Amino acid sequence: MVSRVIEWVDQRFPLTSFVKHDLTEYPTPRNLSYWWNFGFLAGFVLVLQIATGIFLAMYYKPDVNLAFDSVQHIMREVNYGWLLRYIHSTGASAFFVVIYVHMARTLYYASYHKPRELMWWTGQGLMLLIMATAFMGYLLPWGQMSYWGAQVITNLFGVTPFFGDQIVLWLRGDFSVGDATLTRFFALHYLFPFLIFALVGIHLVALHTVKSSNPSGISLADKDNIPFHPYFTLKDFFGLGVYLIVFCAFVFFSPNTFIEPPNNIPANPLMTPAHIEPEWYFLPFYAILRAIPDMLGGVVAMAVSVLIFAILPFADRTSIPGGARYRPIYRAMFFIFLADVLLLGYVGAKPPTGYFVPLGQAATLVYFATFFLLPFVSKAEERWMRARGLPADLQALFQQRPPRDKWNDKGETR
Amino acid sequence: MRSWIIFALCGLALNAGAEEELQLHQAGATTDLPTLERGAETVMTVCLGCHSLKYIRFRELEKLGIAKDKVDGWRGSNPMGTAISSQMPAEAAMASFGKAPPDLSLMAKAREGGPDYIYSYLLGYYNTPEGGLGNHYYPPTKMPDVLGVAGVTDPAQRAELEKKAREVVSFLDWAADPRAQERHTLGYYVIAYLVLLTTLLYFLKRRVWGQLDKT
Repeated sequence: MVSRVIEWVDQRFPLTSFVKHDLTEYPTPRNLSYWWNFGFLAGFVLVLQIATGIFLAMYYKPDVNLAFDSVQHIMREVNYGWLLRYIHSTGASAFFVVIYVHMARTLYYASYHKPRELMWWTGQGLMLLIMATAFMGYLLPWGQMSYWGAQVITNLFGVTPFFGDQIVLWLRGDFSVGDATLTRFFALHYLFPFLIFALVGIHLVALHTVKSSNPSGISLADKDNIPFHPYFTLKDFFGLGVYLIVFCAFVFFSPNTFIEPPNNIPANPLMTPAHIEPEWYFLPFYAILRAIPDMLGGVVAMAVSVLIFAILPFADRTSIPGGARYRPIYRAMFFIFLADVLLLGYVGAKPPTGYFVPLGQAATLVYFATFFLLPFVSKAEERWMRARGLPADLQALFQQRPPRDKWNDKGETR
Repeated sequence: MRSWIIFALCGLALNAGAEEELQLHQAGATTDLPTLERGAETVMTVCLGCHSLKYIRFRELEKLGIAKDKVDGWRGSNPMGTAISSQMPAEAAMASFGKAPPDLSLMAKAREGGPDYIYSYLLGYYNTPEGGLGNHYYPPTKMPDVLGVAGVTDPAQRAELEKKAREVVSFLDWAADPRAQERHTLGYYVIAYLVLLTTLLYFLKRRVWGQLDKT
């Protein structure tokens, strides 16, 4: 019976071939490490955020007079409302942890190289959409930090030449953050996850065209690819289990880690909190914003700091595969950059006084210098490595298949 | 809390506490029922003179385990489902203090330091040399020294007041998150289940991948 139904569907829709091509028999490099689990985890977090968000929206009221109370209603009176809300608020932070690790893995192994440029750029688009969604979602509880955070960030758009004021007015729907802002942020906060979902689809179509990268940095021979199921379904589920243990430890035992104390005070336009700071996942970019004394310059620097990742497929001009695995200088740059981002995050959480100012400026300089030096460093590094003689295993990789630049000569090498 | 995470991530040896002007005292807030009950007594009879507790309904006090006749005494003719409001109208409070006293339901979560802050604040009153009243932890406060700590020098009396403050703080800590107990109980089951599931998944994964390595 079941097989007849499937056959009926297959004549009208490529169900079986889709499942085989993209799920069960999808060829995956067998040497993937656990760092390759984070894409799957990001997809899981997205689904969990959408699922909990839909139920929260059934009780939440996007109205300045009701929003704060409706969140407390969810927390105190709705059955398991506290669970839905804590999963959602913790999930926002978890989402950034997961995608930042996912990005860091891509950087470490230089997976953004040809032919995966579109993976990197669609991923970049996803990051922007997730940031926008998180920012708008943070306004919804209508606490002090929600209100003042939105006030400060929407204000930044005022530096746009000629149209600044109009853009700010258009974003807020009013002269200051208010009911119109809350309602439109709610509408967009509900819309954006579905745009993210669609873009994830595109991200995955691109992935299934170029296939996963792997720690060696080259496309593997057929014998080194294994079917996705059961090998990677199991590996992903095990990773998911580990992730959920950590995630649930926060949800059940320390959910207020990610809710700033001032956000438990209803928004008050007449009382500015002593210290306005964005959520932790924006802190490095916030530190860059504040590092530039001029406001326009700061906003431009912040925007560039987020968008600049897109140049990496061009900026990294090496032909040595595997990223930091084989390239000592690239590896050093990766860890310096990582430490620099953490330092920026730390500076972003501190008031812009004393030695935090020069520290933030120095860290900003290192941040941008990494990107601007990469084209020269990557070339010089390759020359140096070749002059010195490539390590044996890398030499073997080169002999096994032509350098990456020739990837597309005969279509898919596989 | 957030700066703590960033701090741990950075592993920087910078002195994070340098800007904190005053150390908070440990409130030692508990979830022990008799303590909560005595705290509720103080909050209902003293604090509610000016403050409200609007996200808590009388019914929840009874659910917490406080004797019904006590709850009935506090609610008077109000139904059990009534949100707990202040005995002082907001206008009168504005007239006397120039500021509406904040609602207390979320107080234990709304200040940096949480329960420890409230505890330190309640015990932070002192007599100024000019004969006025000051508070170490929140100098611009408009609230009177309700526990009467300012003039107390006798250690025994002081200890009594500390106990009372601890009860109030414990109750307010409960009020800020009445589902915390339920959350913790459920959390142990969830984590235990996940640990079991993940362990099984690990061995299953190893077994399936082990067969792969032989080929």
